[in-house]
Amino acid sequence: MSELGRLEVNRDGGVCVLRILGEVDMSNASELLAAVGAAVPNDVPCVVVDLAETVYLDSAGVQVLFALAGRLHARRHQVSVVVPQDSPIRAVLELTGLSTVVPVRARMPPPDPTEPAGELDP
Amino acid sequence: MGREGRTRRERPPAAAGRWSPNGWPGRLASILLLAAVYYMAARLSLRLSLIERNVTPLWPPTGIAVVAFLLLGRRVWPAIAVAAFVVNEPISTSWLAAAATAAGNTLAPFVAAELLRAVGLRTEIDRLRDAVAIVFLAALGSMLISASVGAGTLVASGAIPGRQFLSAWAVWWTGDAMGVLVVAPFLLSLLLFRQRSGMSWARRVEAATLFAGLTVLSLAVAHSKLHLLFVVLPFMGWAAWRFQQRGAAPAALLASGIATWAAARGLGPFAQGTLFGKMLTLQAFNATVAFTSFVFAAVVTERLRAREALERGAAELEGRVRRRTSELSEANEHLRREIAERKDAERRLRQREGQLSEAQQMARVGSWEWLMPDDRVAWSDEMYRIHGYAPREFPVSLDRAIELVVPEDLGGIRGRLAAALAAGTDHDLAPVEYRIVRPDGAQRVLRAKSRVTFGPNGRPLRMVGTVQDVTEDKRAEREHRISETLQRSLLPERLPDIPGVLLAARYVPATADVEVGGDWYDVVQLPNGEVGVAIGDVAGHGLRAASTMGQLRMALRAYALEDLSPAAVLGRLHHLVEKLLPNEMATLVYLVFDPESGSITFSNAGHPPPLMVGADGRGSYLEEALAPPLGAAGLAGEFVEWRSEIPPGGTLVLFTDGLVERRGVSLRRGLARLREAATAEPDLDALCQGLLTALVEGEVDDDIALLALRPVPLSRDRLHLRVPAEPQALAPLRRTLRRWLGGIDAEPQEAHDILVACGEACANAIQHPYGAGEGFVDIDLSMREDLVEIAVGDSGRWRPHSGTEGGRGLHVMEGLMDAVEVDSGPAGTVVRMRRRLRAGATHE
Repeated sequence: MSELGRLEVNRDGGVCVLRILGEVDMSNASELLAAVGAAVPNDVPCVVVDLAETVYLDSAGVQVLFALAGRLHARRHQVSVVVPQDSPIRAVLELTGLSTVVPVRARMPPPDPTEPAGELDP
Repeated sequence: MGREGRTRRERPPAAAGRWSPNGWPGRLASILLLAAVYYMAARLSLRLSLIERNVTPLWPPTGIAVVAFLLLGRRVWPAIAVAAFVVNEPISTSWLAAAATAAGNTLAPFVAAELLRAVGLRTEIDRLRDAVAIVFLAALGSMLISASVGAGTLVASGAIPGRQFLSAWAVWWTGDAMGVLVVAPFLLSLLLFRQRSGMSWARRVEAATLFAGLTVLSLAVAHSKLHLLFVVLPFMGWAAWRFQQRGAAPAALLASGIATWAAARGLGPFAQGTLFGKMLTLQAFNATVAFTSFVFAAVVTERLRAREALERGAAELEGRVRRRTSELSEANEHLRREIAERKDAERRLRQREGQLSEAQQMARVGSWEWLMPDDRVAWSDEMYRIHGYAPREFPVSLDRAIELVVPEDLGGIRGRLAAALAAGTDHDLAPVEYRIVRPDGAQRVLRAKSRVTFGPNGRPLRMVGTVQDVTEDKRAEREHRISETLQRSLLPERLPDIPGVLLAARYVPATADVEVGGDWYDVVQLPNGEVGVAIGDVAGHGLRAASTMGQLRMALRAYALEDLSPAAVLGRLHHLVEKLLPNEMATLVYLVFDPESGSITFSNAGHPPPLMVGADGRGSYLEEALAPPLGAAGLAGEFVEWRSEIPPGGTLVLFTDGLVERRGVSLRRGLARLREAATAEPDLDALCQGLLTALVEGEVDDDIALLALRPVPLSRDRLHLRVPAEPQALAPLRRTLRRWLGGIDAEPQEAHDILVACGEACANAIQHPYGAGEGFVDIDLSMREDLVEIAVGDSGRWRPHSGTEGGRGLHVMEGLMDAVEVDSGPAGTVVRMRRRLRAGATHE
């Protein structure tokens, strides 16, 4: 992945946190998708995409999130996205209706892997 | 002999009335004068008479009458007749006898003159026939008349008895004949004196001597009792020989006069003897003298004339010969000169041909000529060499020449030829290049120029042309073109349009050098919004330097985009050169400029230091952070870097040594000159041009690369950006947008919304209309009061949406902005967006 955006992966028990730092646009979106896909182990039930440190995300980045959600759902992972309430990128996520496919939270969820993944919307 | 006839001044034969004065008074006067002369001469001669009183041994009036008839014409007869009558009347027995005698005395000279005229006498008596005519026709012949009439009258009138008739007749006849013979030539000779004047003094003395001698001798002889009359004859000969008639006639007159006088007086030899004896002696003497003198004179004259004519002829002949000879020698000289000139011309021609051949050989230019009427083709020696043959190795023909052309180019050559011959007017054919194959198989590239001329009937007459072997030139040209193309392609096609940064560059190739240099520069927009600036010089020239430069530039771009520091970039480049480009050396300055802070960080590998020009136009060199060139032996690859900043209004100038290094000028001096030439010129292009003008005079010794950079504040009202239509351009674009949005006091969320909307529009422009790596996107932002207006344009057509993301992008734009319009036309697509700032409204 380029200098533009960076991916950090943290695994804490059954939760895998993918922190996306920097910017995501069409120049690194596909790269990010590939990296994210590879970073998630099969045996974690929960994946949290942390966008707290993401300073720029456009429709290409949203597309990554949609694609990621779809892929992880297919692998039976529970996926959620965390965006702080005051993050400027929140407007884009709302406009694109990301919350219709994955729960978009303002804060990191408690480390509870039992939370059901019932909001899957194929 | 027409010429002789023309030049000879010949007196015409004496003609009747030739000298007669005009008018009757004149004629009357001349007749009276003639009569008086005749009378006086008669009276004088009568005193010399031997018989009675009227028969004299010498009767001059007859000679006078003959000459008068000859010169004055027939009409003078009355003068003669009257004078003769007057002379004879007193001595005749009766007037009738006198009249008869006078008639005889008139008729005889008249007949004599008529006879002389009839035989064409020349009064000059310069021919033998004239002398003979006077002697036989005038003197002896005609005087038979007067003698017969006179003697007959004497007898008839009873003046003498009949038995004396014969002696009287003889005396009369000889007297008259002598009169004619002695006097007539003398009188005629007087005319000669009249015509020809100007005798030399020697001749005059000679003449005087002659006559004096003759007079003395004649008198002496006349008084001597001895019969020595004949001794005067040599004098006659002398006179005739030396003076012709002019001398002979007077001499004869003189000698005869003296002798006659002596005879009449009975002096000397005439003292004794009979009358008949005296008479015979005198007449014989007179006849001899007269005859000898004027016949001899006539002969001499004739001979002289003949000699004169001969001499004249000889002189003329000589003149003609001389003339002819000189003409001949002139012609000869002319011929000789012509031969010499021709030889000289031939020599010059040979020399010139030699020079031409040599020049052709040196220039590798051959020439040829094709004469259509007899279909003859001629090649110069060099033409043969160009085609791989020895000069004149084979007889050339058009077909033979065309055979050598490679098949691929043959059609073109034939077509050109046909078109040229069909043109019908004289013209130069456009130069053409074609290939031939030499007998050894080598292929050569020839460049041909030719000209065709036509005859008056419009038929092609002659074609001439030159052929140059440009194989080497083509090879060099091709190589040069490659390296130039390589270098041009390696230099940035255009400098990036970086908001807040003004850039200008110049590349000036060396004048003389056909090979390109290794100078280069580059400006890279780094992902973090900074600007990487590089300028460098690869040692050497040509294809190799250009290719090294290209590799270095690409490597630098790659390392720069990794956000490496200048020192790190140089370190990596050095290792690259060491490993991959051994034996190459390159100088380089790499500098990172932060448009937000104005700071610069640079590192220098053996390159001339960048020049910082302040707002006041003063220059100073950034001489820090200097290390040896890339690829230098023993270099560890540890580069230091230096941090500085461009002051507000300042300019950074980077250059290669071609700008400051001149032959004979030290680098220090060159650098000082550049610093002095620096100004605070607001237009960067003009600044670059000014520096080149100030430092480069005449020939450019080495390639020159020059790059100027100046930070400028972004305008709050308007920002225009043009970025390449590629995804990598988006991040630097956002940095610039952020700076601008920060400058217009937008709230963070507003700024972010605008940023994303712009990004979406640009992403669409990048993604849709172009293939990979082509085209540009224009972003125009303006701020009026609290309204931000954005136009993002491209020059392509948006492709049909390939998925949902395009639609999602538009949806995002519409969600973030107050208004979005997409204006798609054949020239391209423009997305126009508006957003009113809340904060702006309150702040304004």
